[in-house]
Amino acid sequence: MRSTMTAVLERNTVVREDFATEPYELPWASEARFFVQALEADGALEFRTEVSPDGLHWCPLDDEAHRIDSPGLITWPVSGFGQWLRVRCSVAPGAVAKVRIYLVGKG
Amino acid sequence: MNVNDTRLAKYNPLSRVLCFDTFDTTTHGWTELLGNYNGAGDLDTVDDHMRDFRPPQLSSCSFFDIGTHGTMSGDYALKLATRPHKGHTATGIRRLTMAGRGLVRIETHFAFKAEATVGREAPSSVDWDGNRHPSESQFGAFTVATDICADGGVRFHNVIRYQNTNLDGEMTQRWMYPVVPEPTPRDHVEGKFKLPYAADFTAPNPEDWRTFDEPLEMCVNEVPTKINWHYLRWDIDTRTRSNVELQLNDRVMDMRDVPVPPYAEKYDTLENLLNFYFSVRTHSGVRNFLFLDSVLISVEW
Repeated sequence: MRSTMTAVLERNTVVREDFATEPYELPWASEARFFVQALEADGALEFRTEVSPDGLHWCPLDDEAHRIDSPGLITWPVSGFGQWLRVRCSVAPGAVAKVRIYLVGKG
Repeated sequence: MNVNDTRLAKYNPLSRVLCFDTFDTTTHGWTELLGNYNGAGDLDTVDDHMRDFRPPQLSSCSFFDIGTHGTMSGDYALKLATRPHKGHTATGIRRLTMAGRGLVRIETHFAFKAEATVGREAPSSVDWDGNRHPSESQFGAFTVATDICADGGVRFHNVIRYQNTNLDGEMTQRWMYPVVPEPTPRDHVEGKFKLPYAADFTAPNPEDWRTFDEPLEMCVNEVPTKINWHYLRWDIDTRTRSNVELQLNDRVMDMRDVPVPPYAEKYDTLENLLNFYFSVRTHSGVRNFLFLDSVLISVEW
């Protein structure tokens, strides 16, 4: 049977400026998926997947940006990553949101 | 002897094994602790100091300098990781119930580390001399504790904490216990306290902690990217609601005189509750990690 695991990386976090989630290790997973749930949103947030060889130094996984600007849920799959994953969020000037961020691994 | 025998041979379980968790196959029920919330599922109602204990991770213990370290028993360890925020705590909790009363034993092989700092120096009370390393003093404390409730709502926590440094980052290397029960969400709802983010949830006032036994040096092994696994065995008695004995490698500590303060008021919905948690707290603002190679919980009922 395959294994799956869901981590709540941010929980009702109010964001007003750019941030990155804490490093999360998924060395066992062959695929993963981020979910961003905007409980409140006034302005645009843009998310990009980042990877790292050591949990200290980070680079983008791909060129894709994932945008949310109103309450709701967005998701995107992640593959071809190494051991660590995180998501970087760019917050538009003046924007504010309350978000939950989930990372699901499967392998 | 097959590989499962080998894994068990490093433990000393009581007569009935409830859980034997190695982390090559999921987190085995060790999950993040979260404070309680209202009937609408509004997580804004979770206490500020209990809303961000971080999700446990399955780690191959890899580092910037040597790559994958690996564990004692296999590929993955359960990793608890704090934020890089002074006072922040990460937890892993396992939820069981009791089918009897008596001796309960929790054993683990574990390691603890501060995150490596690369390209900069973080504040430290220890200088690098080729043997000792600043990261030694960037690890705060780890805690092993229970949450037990039975016999008409009598609730208590057995708690042991290894305090590596005090809140000023000075090496202390002491075993500690709290003399008060942990503040609960009901206490907050009843207006008895309101604690800030990153408060010490087990017992927030440093003056409510006492030391037991003598200072104990662990095998932190010089730099933050070498992991040596330590053996811990802790016996408690749920019949007498007391501590019994703690073993850390070759040090055996009599805990029969270390008190376990019960809550003054009864709790509902928790009959036969038997929870265990591990937590790790940074006192430095550097991420702190607790790695569990494996955990065994056994009982005498």
